[in-house]
Amino acid sequence: MTTTRKRPGAEKAPAKPTPKRASTRRKAAPADDEPRIRDPLELEAALEAAPGDESLRPETTRPEFYGFDIVPPPDRPPQTEREREVYTLGDGEMLVNMGPQHPSTHGVMRLVLKVRGEVVIDLDPVLGYLHRGIEKLCENATYTTVLTYVDPMDYMSAMHNEHAPALAFEKLYGIKAPRRAEYIRALVVELNRVFSHGLMMGFLALDLGGLTPILYGFINRDQVVDLLSSISGQRMLFNFFRVGGVNFDVNDEFLSRLGKWRAGVLDTIEMNEKILTENEIFGARTKGLGVLTAKDAISLGVTGPNLRASGVPFDVRKAHPYPPYPELEFDVITQQGGDTYARYMQRVAELKQSIHLIDQIVDRMPHGPVQAQVPGIIRPKPGRAYAAIESPRGLYSVYAISDGGPNPYRFRMRDPSFITLQVMPKLMPGHLIADTMAVMASLDPIMGGVDK
Amino acid sequence: MDQGLIDLLLGVGRFVLATTFLLLLTVPTAFIVGQMELKIMAQMQLRYGPNRVGPWGMFQSAVHGFKMLAKEDQTPDRADVPTFTLAPYMVFMAAAMSMLVIPFAPGIVAIDSEIGVIYFFAVIGLSVVGMLLAGWASYNKYSLLGGLRSAAQMVSYEIPLTLSIVGLVVLTGSLSFTHIVEWQLEHGWAVIWQIIGFPIFFIAAAAEINRTPFDMVEADSEIVAGPFTEYSGMRFGFFYFAEYVALFIMCAIMVTLFFGGWLAPWPFPAQLEGFAGTVYGLFWFFLKTYLFVIVAVWVRATLPRVRVDQLMGASWKVLLPLALVNLFVTAIVVLALNL
Amino acid sequence: MGHLRRPRAGAPRLGRGRPLTAPAAAGPLVRLLGDKLGDATSELWTDEDTVEVQVPGDKIVDTLRTLRDDPDFGFFFLADAAAVDYGVGERFEVVYHLYSDKHPTWLRVRVPVDRENPLTPTVTGLWEGAMFHEREMYDMMGIVFEGNRDLRRIYMSPDYRSFPQRKDFLLPDDAADSPAAGNMPLERPETWDLTRLQDAAAHRDEPGGPV
Repeated sequence: MTTTRKRPGAEKAPAKPTPKRASTRRKAAPADDEPRIRDPLELEAALEAAPGDESLRPETTRPEFYGFDIVPPPDRPPQTEREREVYTLGDGEMLVNMGPQHPSTHGVMRLVLKVRGEVVIDLDPVLGYLHRGIEKLCENATYTTVLTYVDPMDYMSAMHNEHAPALAFEKLYGIKAPRRAEYIRALVVELNRVFSHGLMMGFLALDLGGLTPILYGFINRDQVVDLLSSISGQRMLFNFFRVGGVNFDVNDEFLSRLGKWRAGVLDTIEMNEKILTENEIFGARTKGLGVLTAKDAISLGVTGPNLRASGVPFDVRKAHPYPPYPELEFDVITQQGGDTYARYMQRVAELKQSIHLIDQIVDRMPHGPVQAQVPGIIRPKPGRAYAAIESPRGLYSVYAISDGGPNPYRFRMRDPSFITLQVMPKLMPGHLIADTMAVMASLDPIMGGVDK
Repeated sequence: MDQGLIDLLLGVGRFVLATTFLLLLTVPTAFIVGQMELKIMAQMQLRYGPNRVGPWGMFQSAVHGFKMLAKEDQTPDRADVPTFTLAPYMVFMAAAMSMLVIPFAPGIVAIDSEIGVIYFFAVIGLSVVGMLLAGWASYNKYSLLGGLRSAAQMVSYEIPLTLSIVGLVVLTGSLSFTHIVEWQLEHGWAVIWQIIGFPIFFIAAAAEINRTPFDMVEADSEIVAGPFTEYSGMRFGFFYFAEYVALFIMCAIMVTLFFGGWLAPWPFPAQLEGFAGTVYGLFWFFLKTYLFVIVAVWVRATLPRVRVDQLMGASWKVLLPLALVNLFVTAIVVLALNL
Repeated sequence: MGHLRRPRAGAPRLGRGRPLTAPAAAGPLVRLLGDKLGDATSELWTDEDTVEVQVPGDKIVDTLRTLRDDPDFGFFFLADAAAVDYGVGERFEVVYHLYSDKHPTWLRVRVPVDRENPLTPTVTGLWEGAMFHEREMYDMMGIVFEGNRDLRRIYMSPDYRSFPQRKDFLLPDDAADSPAAGNMPLERPETWDLTRLQDAAAHRDEPGGPV
């Protein structure tokens, strides 16, 4: 029997502190003959008939009140220094919106480019189109439910999204997952990394105009996703991790699919590589583009393949190892150069490294249970915990605070794509609009993670 | 009646008939080329492609065409409406008009002009005007960028395009397509004679018709659809058709100029007589043209896009000098061999 | 893990008023913190992989600069900057997590921020990557970072006037629970402004175009 936690005295946890409540007296509803909402067409017609008549606008639409005001057009004065810098147009410059609806931004994101002709002078990313308030939502969910809410953050690497919270909650609760669970976790996490990096190759090519590599990437992804669905039941948002282990053990179907996939994966990846790695046009478009120096990368908080492509050997699996990585043999790969091509080569190399890791994991997987005995709703003691893992996009970490209740008091996720986006305004000035997409794709952000 | 008047009327009648027939031909051609693109690219990407509409999905492209008809034609609020409306027709007419001089088989040519080559390259350049108008009139920054890119690209590739065949013109001594094909009947296919000229022409033609890897005009990962962003319905349909028709036309011209037009390759008799000869010629012409269309689709499936400045650089710094070299070498060979 | 075996008595607290347990691995770091930053830090706590200190707002920039630049510390990487709200009437807290090659544990630096006057200095001078962290903390919690060049909202729209991750943030559905129930315009549909449609049309003719 692995770690079981019995509380001394088995006291019931007191309720979590609630904010001070005044009386819940409701204000009287408006009388029936008063209009509650004015018909918008009627309002529009009335305003058209009497333009400039301010009395038609409700009092509370003035800025000092709360409201659902939407972003006005850019004619409002800039609020901050940086905003003034970006939105002030010089001679011959114009603002082009690579808008939220765009075939090529990696989700819904708006990039406001200040361009002079084709050359980008400055860039301002506008985020929040996919903000779902997951952090706040998790404050009302039990610890196990939180693990289902975090999946759709960085939807391309859902297993990683679950891994960090599971580790943080285990630290809060004071248990460790059994060894077999750790190995299974590492297995699915590396599988996830394989298809995420494989798809990045496709996204990069697609943004550059090559239509084929993404379809080859999806061949690989389909196989891996079928594999993961046979173990977790889901194809994309896996809901596989639990506090204290994983949900299911490997089964026969999983193992047979794993064998078949492993036999063919290197060929599939090579098929993709052949089109891209030595392609003259691909090289001309990516080599020397968007060079990120190591110093800049560290200062900007970039992690993951982007950082390692600039030469800094920082990998969370080696820097703050979490089990089972101390027992697996692998090196930290880096590239020199820090340009788009280096970031691409870094991901290809890491993809192959992940396949190597998967081989080791399958070799060394121990026997044992796959989930520690934890109650359905866990109530960890008050405390704080921080857990960081290496996701395909960088350092993904969770900072969780528990107050003794069934829900986390504060659940904070640090998503790597969010921080990596800060690199764009630094790298882009001086390049062409077409390069914006290439650099963006090489940084491989996923908007679900950026916007939480 | 005056014989001259009868000749005139017959000539006009023949012209009208031929032109109508060609205009009607553009639509099925666009459908076929579009269908080939969909299916062949799909096969290269290890997927099926459309396979629901008709046996093996044969009618997918036709349905796309009818779908364009069914969609609403929107005009942006602040667009310059006359120009906005005119632009797609200009691009389409440039493509359609250039089809008038292509010889499909001995005797099957709408206008057997003595200066067919000049006419062709002049008219195909009109499509630039159409794209520029489309980009400007849409009142949209993306369209503007796309229109300017297209102007820059097509103008800079006109020069290597025409220069690459001036060598051929010098070799054959004629500006008429029919005479060039007949020259190839005696001397073998021109691709052997113009071994540098053909690749230059191929690349420049791909750039001229905005085909990958030179399709940043409509680079849909950067500027949505370039100058065509604001178009919908049949106006977009015209751009869409124009692109495929232009692809067909460029392949046809490549075949005519360099690969013998309607002539059959070596083991087969080059041409036959009479009606059978016409059918024979048509068969070989279309076979060769569609083979080149397949090559173009192949290139599209494989290569990523070249960037705007690299494109211009390639045109002015590489293709133009090569085309000039080709011209000089051809001229020397012609003088030396007294052709 | 001393903090987990301690029986809970009285009201639940989030702090840890218990003696320091210093695992051997964190020993050098704890000693260094005591030696070099003794007067700036307080409430030192350790875990098997984290060392936590609390630093007041006026000393935080210098402390972080020392932590980053001093060769014995070497905390060159800012892994995370988070904001915590301890409840209505309680303080906020800005929490920085730092990584160093020379020490095997994470360093967590907690900075208390007053709720009525949520000002704290920015660390974007030390790490440019803190910009987005601080923008998010401002957007979600309302903590204002002095010296930050670009403190605008990052997730919510620029005119949004509330701070979602605060513990007293209320959605319109929760109007009944609000002490000011029914008073706020958010909770009275008749005050919702639909004239932005009119505004967009009015701004149509200005230079720059609709895009």
